[in-house]
Amino acid sequence: MKNHKNSYLLMLAFLLCSSLFSFAQNAPSVSISGEVLTPLVLKKEDLAAYKQLTHKTKDRDGKEHEYKGVALVEVLEKAGATLGGKLRGENLAKAVIIRAGDGYEVVYSLPELDPEFSNNVVLLVAEKDGGPLPPGEGAFRLIAPQDKKQARWIREVRSIKVVFVKD
Amino acid sequence: MLLVAALCVILSALKTDDATPEPYLLQYPANFGGRINVPKDNPTTKEGVQLGRMLFYEKKLSADNSLSCASCHEQKLAFTDGKALSIGVDKSLTSRNSMALVNLLWVRNFFWDGRSASLEDQAVFPMTNPHEMGQSLDETVKKLQQSPMYVVLFKKAFGDANIDADKIRKALSQFERTLISADSPYDRYLAGTYQPTAQELRGMNLFMEPPAPERGIRGANCGHCHGGPKTFKELFHNNGLDTEAKDPGREAISNEAEDRGRFRVPTLRNIALTAPYMHDGRFKTLEEVLDHYNEHIQESATLSSFLRGTSNEKGGKTLLLNKTEKTDIMAFLHMLTDSTFINNPAFSDPNKSLKQ
Repeated sequence: MKNHKNSYLLMLAFLLCSSLFSFAQNAPSVSISGEVLTPLVLKKEDLAAYKQLTHKTKDRDGKEHEYKGVALVEVLEKAGATLGGKLRGENLAKAVIIRAGDGYEVVYSLPELDPEFSNNVVLLVAEKDGGPLPPGEGAFRLIAPQDKKQARWIREVRSIKVVFVKD
Repeated sequence: MLLVAALCVILSALKTDDATPEPYLLQYPANFGGRINVPKDNPTTKEGVQLGRMLFYEKKLSADNSLSCASCHEQKLAFTDGKALSIGVDKSLTSRNSMALVNLLWVRNFFWDGRSASLEDQAVFPMTNPHEMGQSLDETVKKLQQSPMYVVLFKKAFGDANIDADKIRKALSQFERTLISADSPYDRYLAGTYQPTAQELRGMNLFMEPPAPERGIRGANCGHCHGGPKTFKELFHNNGLDTEAKDPGREAISNEAEDRGRFRVPTLRNIALTAPYMHDGRFKTLEEVLDHYNEHIQESATLSSFLRGTSNEKGGKTLLLNKTEKTDIMAFLHMLTDSTFINNPAFSDPNKSLKQ
């Protein structure tokens, strides 16, 4: 009976906490979903578990900045996307849709992100010049150094979804 | 007269009582793109659209039979109501400006804050909100069930005379999907059948171009968010209306701090007809809107980065277009008025056209 009482109290405390949390602002995160074995929700600190990469680039104002992050393909591998030896057959018709907080969307094909197909590395970054990304760039951003146009250097990345391209 | 009209509808309906609804062909120019949204469980049919149109203009959908969807979405105003905020059945004001209903087939997030992912979901809010039409869907179903005309129309549209909330939402959505505007002078220019004036062309270039003072290029960069043949992109931005947003906008839906004061970037189609402007209808004229973007952008943490420091003068904080350039842009904005759309009899009040 006492155990029951305790578990009721625990449940009450849990409900109270969860309702409090629901009013709190979300900590910035990025979701990896779709055609993956293990959907992930990553926070900035979770990127530390991956190999760290940097890229230096010049801004519109001509100043050099250093972005730091991880290879997008590594995050997709962790989620269990069909990469490497599994990237064959129908899986070659897969794409990755990246969506930003403001609704902006860009697409990469899955093979163009795979090191067995391409030497180009697309980075998922969360740091600029040793600090967090500035307002307007979001908590997460993609950097695609080999893209001549920066339109796929999508800011404020909120979701990364692997999909089959269906005509 | 109304009785005769209703009888005609019933008689014509009875003729094809057992027939399956006929598909409605949603026609649009190829440059609008095929990323349209029609749910699998609600295909657009001629009979569904006919019923949806009747419901759209039906005042029985409101608590005191005084308002229909068309009360706040008038065809002659490109399906807006000309008011900053609309008046509901309880005589209170809505919290935001009535949005234009146009080219909804391509929209994926409805309302200023994008809270609904489909027209079917969207329809419930204005119908049941106590400050809008203020009536439960159960009550609406009861009212419609008493009308022999609606019993027949529902049977024609869905093969089942049983009226329910789901069918009401579906029929309204089917009608709204047909509200396609694709015959403005700008559409005709893109199709090669309209030659814009020199002023319209100058305005169009300014509208589309980002300014680059270091290269001597002048522009207003409007197309960055309002570009493309539909003058609509599925985006949410804080367009610098306030330093402290009174209305949290999309933040209230997403719970993300980055979304503070962000609202859906609306289509500019028929923009000359849809005053007043912004989510709260604060600007009475298009000139005021242009002045805002040109001179009065308010800084805040979530101000769109595309509005920050975009200027025609080196080091300028706002656009700083001159008077002639603003007039040129106005000329282009008027090219987006589609009179075929606002006069299309297929979108008009069926009760009025039956009376005529």
